[in-house]
Amino acid sequence: MRTEMDDFTGESKKLMKSATFIISGRQDMSLMDKLGILADAAKYDVACTSSGVDRKGTGDSIGNCVAAGICHSFSSDGRCISLLKILLTNHCIYDCKYCQNRCSNDIPRAVFTPEEICTLTMEFYRRNYIEGLFLSSGIIKNPSFTMELILRTVWILRNQYRFNGYIHVKAIPGADPQLIRQTGFLADRMSINLELPTAEGLQNLAPNKNRKTILTPMRQIQNGIQENKNELVLYRNAPKFVAGGQSTQMIIGATPENDYQIINVAESLYQKFSLKRVFYSAFVNVTGDKALPALPGGPPLLREHRLYQADWLLRFYGFRAEELLDEKRPYFNVMLDPKEDWAIRHLEQFPVEINKAPLEMLLRVPGIGVKSARRITAARRCAGLTFGDLKKIGVVLKRAVFFITCSGRMMYPVKLDEDYIVRNLTDKNERIRFGADGMTYRQMSLFDDGNFAGGGFAGGSSAVMPSTQEVLETAVGML
Amino acid sequence: MTVYRCEDSLESIFTAIYLSYEEDRNAEDTYLALDEEPMLFAEDVHVQADSARAVKVIRTLERRFGEEDYLKICTALASTDAEKAQAVYRTVVKGLDERCARGHLFDDLTDQYVMQTFSLARKAGRESGYLREFLRFQELENGILYAEIGPKANVLTFLMPHFADRLPIEDFVIHDSTRNIFGIHPKRRQWYLLTGDEGEKPKLRFSEEEMEYQELFRHFCRTISIKARENLKLQRNMLPLRFREYMIEF
Repeated sequence: MRTEMDDFTGESKKLMKSATFIISGRQDMSLMDKLGILADAAKYDVACTSSGVDRKGTGDSIGNCVAAGICHSFSSDGRCISLLKILLTNHCIYDCKYCQNRCSNDIPRAVFTPEEICTLTMEFYRRNYIEGLFLSSGIIKNPSFTMELILRTVWILRNQYRFNGYIHVKAIPGADPQLIRQTGFLADRMSINLELPTAEGLQNLAPNKNRKTILTPMRQIQNGIQENKNELVLYRNAPKFVAGGQSTQMIIGATPENDYQIINVAESLYQKFSLKRVFYSAFVNVTGDKALPALPGGPPLLREHRLYQADWLLRFYGFRAEELLDEKRPYFNVMLDPKEDWAIRHLEQFPVEINKAPLEMLLRVPGIGVKSARRITAARRCAGLTFGDLKKIGVVLKRAVFFITCSGRMMYPVKLDEDYIVRNLTDKNERIRFGADGMTYRQMSLFDDGNFAGGGFAGGSSAVMPSTQEVLETAVGML
Repeated sequence: MTVYRCEDSLESIFTAIYLSYEEDRNAEDTYLALDEEPMLFAEDVHVQADSARAVKVIRTLERRFGEEDYLKICTALASTDAEKAQAVYRTVVKGLDERCARGHLFDDLTDQYVMQTFSLARKAGRESGYLREFLRFQELENGILYAEIGPKANVLTFLMPHFADRLPIEDFVIHDSTRNIFGIHPKRRQWYLLTGDEGEKPKLRFSEEEMEYQELFRHFCRTISIKARENLKLQRNMLPLRFREYMIEF
């Protein structure tokens, strides 16, 4: 008797055969070569998080999920390896200028069979190498066909191999909405790459894609998640749809958009499409296309870093995009991080009193993060906080010291002056140095000046202050 | 001054806390020591670990401070610090005296002992988190998954539930080589801990596919890295060198 599962896998095999037929090529490749080619092809996609879902093991399958996500290793570029990030195939009918898998690029191509992907995932997972699978694909034949291949692979992994870990899949823009919906019930996170921040950029570099086909499935998934939430209120055991939310990525530095535009796009994606994450990918020129900028200094890593910092400020610190940048200053400061930069431009709101200020204001102080702000509000209910306590709580005093007071006092006489603070925040040599306990800062005094050191006052503090007798002698003109 | 001399175990330390209440000691004048360092003008009490008393303490801690803070106390006790018993004792006394609400035991970080317990728990918790990430199983000939770890803190007890939940249908063993303890999880059954024998380690024979999958993963790690972004310092920050000894990809 044939079960539904047999039908499904049988059909998948047929489908895969037709796929390999369409993309004629060598099929005698070893698993090692395939993994090399298809991991290499997937590596420019930056999203590799396994977060957003908390799921216990079922007792008869392999896997669980931890909401915070788990990184299992770090590659030599310092990025985390959390998921088995591979493409189903790097054959592609599209010709996007920035992508190394574009059809006009002459590179070795390969296709994974669903079994290969499932075995790799299971074997890596049980050895604790990975947290799950991140499956994407080049476009074979058409978007719906590709989406169906992905759906079937993930279905087999979930139902036949009984994998209960994390699965992140790419939704292919332009695919049949029904396929995307079905995949959503099997995956923990789905993502559709926005690729470039503006529609013009997309038109120039990815002629086969357009803004509408990207945003339509994004909206569909958003609505799906919302509907599913309502459903889960009614039926606790209803199947979950994309429980980890959806994400997207933008390439930074391939097109001339400025940071202000990018951060605005990100903000509206968070607000209007309720995305979980927006990723920024510093552009690496892999194709050498003449429409792309040459980057002699390497990929714009600092710019990417600043965008991520700003992204965190938007999501966790209650900042709005227009507070960080505006049309007159469309780029982030190279020397200062976005939060320092904002604080410097709003000195009228500082210093902040640690023992009184509301949580929202604490979050705006450079050097205080979400965790330390929470700890401060909890601890100050029991006792007044001092600078020593702050250091232990985890506040980065070397940044925060210019912006805070404890019980009305600053740690160190600080001028609330833009130039002075910027100089101290940026110049390493002039920064106030703190000892291990954080309390060995120099006490400012009238005579604490380099010119005096080793001079006439070498005798110590008693020599500095004239004795009463000397004062008297001066008064009567004996000296 | 009363000094309770305990062993380095949850049971023993919790028994000491029970005794200090039973004997109605003044917390200011009581010390929980893990070593035998003599103290001047002190009355020594040698604590016999007693599971019935320890369980009573555990129940009280869970009821009064909540699950999360109780776990934090246990994590702090997993660390290697010599002062941990004293820090935990004073934290607990303070929490009980002040009738602090569930989940608020670690609010008052200005208190010396609360801060100490908090940072011990943070440190041990961080290491347990690292090992959840970096632990690597290797498949033996008979299909058992085997992993060796060399942690500073005694975190095996925190790792076992995570992996037992994750791999319920696998037989696996985690070996803490600093303490020579084995965490053993038989397929579909409850896990338990065993103390290993002194002496040489038995030679491990790996299954045929094991080397193949290790090589596949090494290849994957090499390929996934982007040359133009190479940053070994960042890699070292995220993945401290001391864990690499036990990881197959390095």
